Amino acid sequence: MEAGTLTRPGAPTPAHAPAAAKPKSVLLDWLLTTDHKKIGVMYVWMSFFFFALGGIFALLMRTQLAAPGLHVLRPDVYNQIMSLHGTFMIFFWTIPVLAGLGNYVVPLQIGARDMAFPRVNAFSFWLLLPAGFLMLAGMWMQGGAAAGGWTSYPPLSDRQYSPGPGMDLWILGLHLAGMSSILGAINFVVTVHNLRAPGMSFLKMPLFTWNVVITQYIILFGTPVLAGALTMLLTDRMFGTAFFHPAAGGDPVLWQHLFWFYSHPAVYIMVLPAMGVISQVLPPFASKRPFGYKGMVLATLGIGVIGFLVWGHHMFASGIDPTLRRFFSFMSMVIAVPTGIKIWSWLATVWGGSIRFRTPMLYGLGFISLFTIGGITGVWLALVPFDVQVHDTYFVVAHLHYVLFGGSLMGIFAGVYYWFPKMSGRMYHEVWGKVHFWLTFIGMNLTFMPMHLVGMRGMPRRIYTYQAQYTLENQIATVGAFVLGVGMLIFMINMLASLRWGKKASDDPWDHAEFNKTLEWTVSSPPPNENFHKIPVIR
Amino acid sequence: MKTLRHRLAWVLGILLALGTVLAGTAHAWLTNPVTPVAHEVRELFWLAFGVTMFFFVLAEMILLIAIIKFRARPGVAPATFHDNVKLEIVWTAIPTLAMVFLSGPSFQTLQYLETVPKSDLTVEIIGHQWFWEYRYPGHGVVFANEPLVIPSGKIVAADLTSIDVVHSWFVPEFGVKMDANPGRVNHTWFEVERPGTYGGQCAELCGVLHGDMLITVNVVSPEEFERWLAEKKKGA
Repeated sequence: MEAGTLTRPGAPTPAHAPAAAKPKSVLLDWLLTTDHKKIGVMYVWMSFFFFALGGIFALLMRTQLAAPGLHVLRPDVYNQIMSLHGTFMIFFWTIPVLAGLGNYVVPLQIGARDMAFPRVNAFSFWLLLPAGFLMLAGMWMQGGAAAGGWTSYPPLSDRQYSPGPGMDLWILGLHLAGMSSILGAINFVVTVHNLRAPGMSFLKMPLFTWNVVITQYIILFGTPVLAGALTMLLTDRMFGTAFFHPAAGGDPVLWQHLFWFYSHPAVYIMVLPAMGVISQVLPPFASKRPFGYKGMVLATLGIGVIGFLVWGHHMFASGIDPTLRRFFSFMSMVIAVPTGIKIWSWLATVWGGSIRFRTPMLYGLGFISLFTIGGITGVWLALVPFDVQVHDTYFVVAHLHYVLFGGSLMGIFAGVYYWFPKMSGRMYHEVWGKVHFWLTFIGMNLTFMPMHLVGMRGMPRRIYTYQAQYTLENQIATVGAFVLGVGMLIFMINMLASLRWGKKASDDPWDHAEFNKTLEWTVSSPPPNENFHKIPVIR
Repeated sequence: MKTLRHRLAWVLGILLALGTVLAGTAHAWLTNPVTPVAHEVRELFWLAFGVTMFFFVLAEMILLIAIIKFRARPGVAPATFHDNVKLEIVWTAIPTLAMVFLSGPSFQTLQYLETVPKSDLTVEIIGHQWFWEYRYPGHGVVFANEPLVIPSGKIVAADLTSIDVVHSWFVPEFGVKMDANPGRVNHTWFEVERPGTYGGQCAELCGVLHGDMLITVNVVSPEEFERWLAEKKKGA
């Protein structure tokens, strides 16, 4: 072993394909790759494909809801599209695109040559791709795709009320996505624990890596429960068991507990890495160190732990025990505190800096302003009496989109713009990037702000048409949705054109100050094979 | 001139968002509450609104000021602070206290709405795909697909269940929402102050025509209710 090839004595070296087995073509190179950078890029591409699909579904829904009593979509088709929009956006866009960014960036940031299990990494990706298509395939089956919302509450998702194979494909697709998630989580956890460069202690790790690792722990603890619940649902459908079947002694509310035990932490799986991106993007563009590093790490840990103690707030109207209602209500309020710590710390990071308004920074600042709104409505929803009033109405739709669109998506785009030069070796077009940001920011508020209002006035979610008194807000929302659509088109064109004709990017196109320069900016753009000519030593 | 454009656009954007939130919530809550529970819920909401708005406006103002004041200028060096334990303790403690403060009235209201008082009338509400069935136990009155009729000024207890999938009985002006689960019975109550016709609809996705599962409640004077009930019994 030469000096500089080992991370540290006795640490496992990543198992790479021997150099002799060079693939014959570019295509095979991508298909057979075990390189974390290529896998990360493939994750991103795949997620954006499903993002586009989910976006088209969203626009179809908004078209149907442009006025009361329209017949753009049949009620059954509307329910399918609504369910797939939710499922794709959560399981095939937000989670994988962040996994992709994590895959690309985390090994670079900790000074590793690759993930701990490169082939498992590839397997994670190749599990996810068919999973999405499996779900989509339901569209062409007898009875159409799954139509139970992304939550698929039984008995509606039982065989009796969803007889077609669409629901089975949905379950199997989610199973595969869950497996992919779990394998990926194991991989990340082992990587970060074992492959850090010499001198890279835990408290020297960049905040993005911290957020990703804690997220992977959440996945590790939560996803198996979802897998179990899905298996129970599948056996209920296929083999006549009665876990959720009241006539035979089962209980539909059990599904809600099991499902939300994973799916509430899933919200944090979706938002923590995005918060990590924000923690990574704000400091260099404000020319300051991240404020309160340790506080940030602790807040992230706190969110990770408390995130498992709030699932009941999705079930305040289902008739759960009064004591449970109080516990979950209080916990849901408490989780606002670590989230608040993060917001204040970001504000303190920006405060007193000298801010350069490049596109990633715009997205970072947009994240803070919009995510705060989602957090505030979250506190309201934690109050049971208010939640009973607006549960399952458009208010909740608005709240979740402020958290996931105003939060996760803003973070994702901040990350995509921030690392695009690193990944592709080319710069994107700054002006069109800013146009994309403003269209997204304005379109997002136009779309989701009115939803708070109709929700408070009692318009339920997941309905294919609505009563006349909700017309005005819905029309504003539809206009907003198309503004968002235009923005996303501009984004796609900008990125595709930049991949081909963009200016060549330097190693560090953002001119990081020395104290903000994480390791990925010390290597070429795109980074060389195996990332580092010589493993860096951190002092 | 680029910076000026930035500043104006940001200020405009945030002010627009703020204005919409404030005006909108005020407007949205003009929905007339007609039960004591609905009144309580709205009071609690305004309390929570006040407490959280303080933090919200504070955060957005700091953000706006930072954006305007600390944009990169030649010759101005950025600050170097990146730690302040006192400040961090403050912004952990104050929100925590605010949450504890809010949980008190919240739990009181919760106690009020989930304790079904001694009722003057019990109705059974049964969800079907995609209509509601109402029963008046003790009177032998059962019907479906028609408005629920109840007397004003009387405490009505509702027992909810479902025959097929999960439904949720929701009338916004009553401040009442309760899931109707198959194989379980849930309880809620309402006391409507004044006669009138109130609308609502199913709030839990229950299949293809979930959006058409409307609810109408006719609230009539107690005398009129007695007459109606006698009529119904004759018809039964």
